[in-house]
Amino acid sequence: MGITFLITSIHYLIRVNEFGEGEEILGPNTIIVQKQVSNASMLNLTQTDFSEAEIEKMKKEPFILDVKPVVANNFSISFQTDDELVPYFRSDVFIQTVDQKFLDVDTEKWKWKEGDTIVPIVMPRDFIVMLNTFMSAQGIPQISDDLAMDINFKFTLEGPVGDASVNSLGTTSQVKMQKEWVNARIIGFTNEVAAILVPESFMTYGNSKFSDGSKQKITQVMISGKESEFGLVEEMLEKRGLESKDSQMIIGRLKSMIGTLFLVVLGISVIAVFVSGLVLIQYMQLLMTRNAYEVRTLMRMGYHPNDIIRRFFFYFVLIFGIVAGLGLAMFFLFKLLLDDMFESGGLYIDTSLTLGSVGALLLAYILFTAASFFTAKKGIFKEY
Amino acid sequence: MNITLDCIMPAPLASINHGPESIWGNKVELEYGKRILLNASSGKGKSTFTTTAFGLRRDYEGSLLYDNKDIRELTPTDWTEIRKTKISVVFQDLQLFPKLSVQENLLLKNSLTDTYTETELRQMLEKLDIDNKWEQQCGLLSMGQQQRVATIRAMTQPYAWLIMDEPFSHLDVDNARKCMEIIHDRTIEQGAGFVLTTLGDSHGYSFDQELKL
Repeated sequence: MGITFLITSIHYLIRVNEFGEGEEILGPNTIIVQKQVSNASMLNLTQTDFSEAEIEKMKKEPFILDVKPVVANNFSISFQTDDELVPYFRSDVFIQTVDQKFLDVDTEKWKWKEGDTIVPIVMPRDFIVMLNTFMSAQGIPQISDDLAMDINFKFTLEGPVGDASVNSLGTTSQVKMQKEWVNARIIGFTNEVAAILVPESFMTYGNSKFSDGSKQKITQVMISGKESEFGLVEEMLEKRGLESKDSQMIIGRLKSMIGTLFLVVLGISVIAVFVSGLVLIQYMQLLMTRNAYEVRTLMRMGYHPNDIIRRFFFYFVLIFGIVAGLGLAMFFLFKLLLDDMFESGGLYIDTSLTLGSVGALLLAYILFTAASFFTAKKGIFKEY
Repeated sequence: MNITLDCIMPAPLASINHGPESIWGNKVELEYGKRILLNASSGKGKSTFTTTAFGLRRDYEGSLLYDNKDIRELTPTDWTEIRKTKISVVFQDLQLFPKLSVQENLLLKNSLTDTYTETELRQMLEKLDIDNKWEQQCGLLSMGQQQRVATIRAMTQPYAWLIMDEPFSHLDVDNARKCMEIIHDRTIEQGAGFVLTTLGDSHGYSFDQELKL
């Protein structure tokens, strides 16, 4: 049973922690938070943006890996389709950027510098849904995620040339406007961010060149928490009057809970396997002691001590092998049951076997094999 | 293979006064091919001699040499080879496996070197009048029967020396004589030697040398 629980707990610990990876461009255990809108904030009695001090304070919490601001555009930007495959579509949009380490993207693809003709973007999934709805209404076939990544899009950046200034009459003087067009290509999707994500360098470029002069405010931050400590993150959010998207919280909470549960089972099963191994080793010692006369006589007859060691060693390695095999078979039965339960509960985890769980079994087997060998050797040479 | 006892003094016998004729405390050479009688009364070290010469005891002063090599330098692999092909022993307590049959006891030893076939083993048992005990558990045999089985077992290997520690103490004169005949034939066949320890009985055999303790 110990072996079954050992493999099962490691397998599901890995799978639960992997849950959500690959489907979402944001890294695991990452959420976007903003301050709750209260009556006080509506009346401008409290601020809804984050100060540097507030961000630093959150970073210091032991269960937080990192906190970084979500920077938004401070200039006018629109987004349009620019491909024969799709009908023309244009809209003013908001863009945001976060530190690259929060994103699960290929670093080679997620870069842009002034002069590059294409800027990579991460698109809210809702946008594709909206686009497909639009195309469906037009009688045009809908597009898949993969096809969307092949379509050409275009940004139009617009802003004043120089600073807008207020004249003596208290009105803003006429300023010259500048426009720039940059092609865009989708490299991933997100369910968690409502705006289009762009590389930091593009945002910095746009904010510095096309800024309308208004002060940059940080109204959202991205938080990355430690695995299995999501409860503490939630507590912190509640204490500080912060909120996040429900779905992010629920998944994070669920993963923490299940992860903790499996961690406890793992701890118990490690102890169980260790104790079982000890019992087998002690049984070997007992067997050798009870057969000390036979062992001695065989060596006096001309049997090599190593031959006798091998007999004991292989016997016990076979026993443990059979136990391990049974444990593995039980695990597969458990897995069928648990995978089914998770699926029924809406938790679609990868059902393939994890290397970690098989590795743990192998490690246990190797450790027992080594212990058996040295015990047999010591026991036999004691009678030599 | 010559066995040399160079001033061997086992720790349990150190307090006893041994004479110049004793093998203890003096240099004694057991020449290869000789048939030697070790005659001594009880408690003088006959079994000590057997176990020391066979490398089972290390609680002694002096050196014991096999062809001028100190046995203290031998490795487990060396000892395995020696016990399989050079020195065979009939212990005073026989050291048979009581729960195994005569067949199993003999084959367990014989399988190391395939010295005899099963038929030959049964013939040897027949010469000693115990061929009907082939499938009998050794623990259920009489002491005399067990001694005969142990003697045959000791011969189911090639040897340069056969050391026997009071092997016929429970045998009548006739059976002892028969055992000696088998031992003599087998030893001469190999050009080997043997040492037989006894409380005084030479079993009617003519030895090349007599040692005292």
